[in-house]
Amino acid sequence: MSFLHNYIYYIGAFGLIFIGLFIMIAKRNYIKVIIGLSILETGVNLFLIAVGYISNGTAPIFSKAGIEAENMVDPVPQALVLTAIVIGLAVLGLVLSLAIRLYKHYGTLNLQEIKEQRW
Amino acid sequence: MNEMINLNPVLLIVVPLGLAFLTPLLGLISKKIAKWLPVVGLLFNLIVALAILPHVLKQPIIVKIAGFAPPFGINLVAGPVGMLLATLIALTGLLVAIYALKYINEGAEQKYHILFLLLLTGATGVVLTGDIFNLFVFFEILCISSYALVAYLGNRAGIESAVKYLIQGSIGSSLLLIGIGLLYGQFGTLNMADLAKQIVSSSDPSVFVPMVLMITGLGIEAAIFPLNAWLPDAHSSAPSSVSAILSGIAIEVGLYAMVRVLFTICHVSNFFMFFLFLGVLTVLVGEMSAFSQKNIKRMLAYSSIGQIGLILFAFSISTHFGVTGGLFQMISHTLGKALLFLSAGYMIYRTGSMEISSFEGIGKKMPLTALFFTIGTLSIIGLPPFVGFSSKFLIIKAALAKGELLYTILMGIVLLGTVIEGTYFFRVIQTIYFKGKDVATERNDSPIVCLISMSIFAVLIIVIGVYPHLVMKILNPAASELFNSIQYIRSVLG
Repeated sequence: MSFLHNYIYYIGAFGLIFIGLFIMIAKRNYIKVIIGLSILETGVNLFLIAVGYISNGTAPIFSKAGIEAENMVDPVPQALVLTAIVIGLAVLGLVLSLAIRLYKHYGTLNLQEIKEQRW
Repeated sequence: MNEMINLNPVLLIVVPLGLAFLTPLLGLISKKIAKWLPVVGLLFNLIVALAILPHVLKQPIIVKIAGFAPPFGINLVAGPVGMLLATLIALTGLLVAIYALKYINEGAEQKYHILFLLLLTGATGVVLTGDIFNLFVFFEILCISSYALVAYLGNRAGIESAVKYLIQGSIGSSLLLIGIGLLYGQFGTLNMADLAKQIVSSSDPSVFVPMVLMITGLGIEAAIFPLNAWLPDAHSSAPSSVSAILSGIAIEVGLYAMVRVLFTICHVSNFFMFFLFLGVLTVLVGEMSAFSQKNIKRMLAYSSIGQIGLILFAFSISTHFGVTGGLFQMISHTLGKALLFLSAGYMIYRTGSMEISSFEGIGKKMPLTALFFTIGTLSIIGLPPFVGFSSKFLIIKAALAKGELLYTILMGIVLLGTVIEGTYFFRVIQTIYFKGKDVATERNDSPIVCLISMSIFAVLIIVIGVYPHLVMKILNPAASELFNSIQYIRSVLG
């Protein structure tokens, strides 16, 4: 049980990553693929947060005297996640607008039926 | 030393980025101004890059953003490799922007120019940055703008390929980010030089998993063989000026990042046999698929896969010679393939079809464009006196200098790929010049602006081909920076 207790964040994050990857690979509907992408990105963000997290940690701000640096949560991964969230938002916006155009052209979102480009 | 303080490599990233976001504002003044902004921005970049380049050959310039010393702050490393590629990006971008002045005349033009500038900003950022998370951010700028540019025409093929490209590309960038997160968790730093130092000095570095994740993520963008499914669709459905940039710059930047991870950060020495075989396989798959194509742009796209395989092969020889050859092949592929896509662009525009068979007699109708196309093909095949010959010759020399039977055999297979390449390119040249009836057709060549940009490419291909020593002076220090990670660490961390 202590393994679960110590690594619960990593297990959760990688669980989400694999669920997202599975959805992206296995599902035929384009909207479902986008949902998979979103889950995958959430998993990656959680993983990055988990890298810098300390349980019972404090914010990394030296506001009062006597605060030790030992218990502070690493701020760098949080900055990374902020950037990654913004990038993820841009990708999601683009992917959804492409979905609208795709539906206009083909009348379907089933990726199995959209196969005009061939080897 | 004094005059180089004035020219900061940050300008190479800041100016195109600023111009990209200024475009909508300046567009309010005049609609016509938008298409000139990429030309202005990239001309500036080219001049600055050429001015910085000689200084960098003596000593790399390390730019500390906000004055924090390298392991803590974000830094740019303008070493020989970075500046060489930044110059190449600025040059290719400028010539393609000149071509696009006339070529892009429908659709949302303003947005095209914004995305074009952002794509080149991302590419320049990737080659200059010294921070691995910054590399990811610039890489995403590059990728997102290229997804949008592939869908620029908004037709069935464009949207479908953009969707495919986007799905695969975003899986790739997620994998890259997981790899970066694992490295940060293990070593607690994001600075590439600091990471490399800690990996070299730690007794048991277990960087295998992050390395594989990062290589897979970057390999999707670089279109290494099992990950190349998006490339032929995306490159053939985009407008020709975008295809030229994607083929000439985007995939090469992906490959550069991959090589940087392999050589500098992870400092591997025992995986190159794997990449050697992967390179040979990529060459064969790319060239054989290109051979069976009837669509000209698809053929050029598959040929790009073959060329990327050749570059990967050259890097995987993992000697100083091999790395030099790989960098040289990057230059020759960028010049040659950009010229091919640009000239094919107007041939398609005039005939209204991408089928090779419809190009019959175009050698008489568009003599100059056809001539430039021929120069491009001969350079890509690797015939003297064009630049492709010098670079391929260097790679062959590097493979033979290794002196092992395996390398000689693999080199033979790669040369077989070149023979296939020659066959299908000569078939196109035959169609252009010698097929079709001798009907007196009117001359209807490409517009003069486009011919100027193509002729500069053609002149560069011939001049560098005849005097390879012009670039060898830059390639040698570049190869030693890439190959010798200790030198890189020292120059950054001091």
